[in-house]
Amino acid sequence: MSESKEKSESSELLVPLETYLAAGVRIGTHIKTKVMEKFIYGVRPDGLYVINVKLLDKRIRVAAKLIARYEPNTVVAVSARQYGYQPVRAFCSFTGAIPITGRFIPGTFTNPSLPSYMEPSLLIASDPRADEQAIDEAAEVGIPVIALCDTDNFCEYVDLIIPVNNKGRRSLALVYWLLARQVLRERGELGPDEDLPVPVEHFETKIVGGMAELASRQRR
Amino acid sequence: MRCYMSELKLPVCSSCGRPIPPYERGVRFPCPNCGEVIIWRCARCRKMVNPYKCPKCGFEGP
Repeated sequence: MSESKEKSESSELLVPLETYLAAGVRIGTHIKTKVMEKFIYGVRPDGLYVINVKLLDKRIRVAAKLIARYEPNTVVAVSARQYGYQPVRAFCSFTGAIPITGRFIPGTFTNPSLPSYMEPSLLIASDPRADEQAIDEAAEVGIPVIALCDTDNFCEYVDLIIPVNNKGRRSLALVYWLLARQVLRERGELGPDEDLPVPVEHFETKIVGGMAELASRQRR
Repeated sequence: MRCYMSELKLPVCSSCGRPIPPYERGVRFPCPNCGEVIIWRCARCRKMVNPYKCPKCGFEGP
């Protein structure tokens, strides 16, 4: 491929390709489901499936368009995964959506007698496997679902798939940062070339204490 | 006896083309890409992850 073609393809992306690769958004798992097959670019020698970054980029734009069409306070973002807590909270603080992190209390969408009961119009799930309860309840009451799906997810009741590594700390941070920026751009609150006032690191879950030691050991 | 069924207009699933009865838990949302067409999906197609296509812009999901 010529250098100019590579540059033009890279400029079409929301962030440079290097940023995507550094965050590890395209690293999938050893398992591939039929639903996710069309988003897979190839297989690494160690057996990990690799996600197509171009499709991911397109899907982030499309998802942002869909989110921007709904009232901000009727959108709910959920994450039962610890690495998704901070990205979801930061995303919601910028877009005005409602965050639900940690355990999703059963009946939140279906049981009006619960104090946490709500009637959202759109659900954003960080992982269809971890956020199964939220997706099931959304299916029961007829709420459209956007989900970040890895290569091993089955994507039942998901209406818009964002193919991405949904297990990585930096990957989740980058995707939610991009999603927040793109939603604000679609709403007209940010200019077409404007960035969020905070860097991607603000969306990352901080590793502290024992977790930091564990992470450094894993790196070695 | 007059039959009212012919007057009842049911939404049609964008994936399978089947009419969605009122008791079924389907979902409706604007096309994620163009936003001009309303996409309907029946519960069965959502569970089976059947693809849908926007008749206007050609966007294919999920």
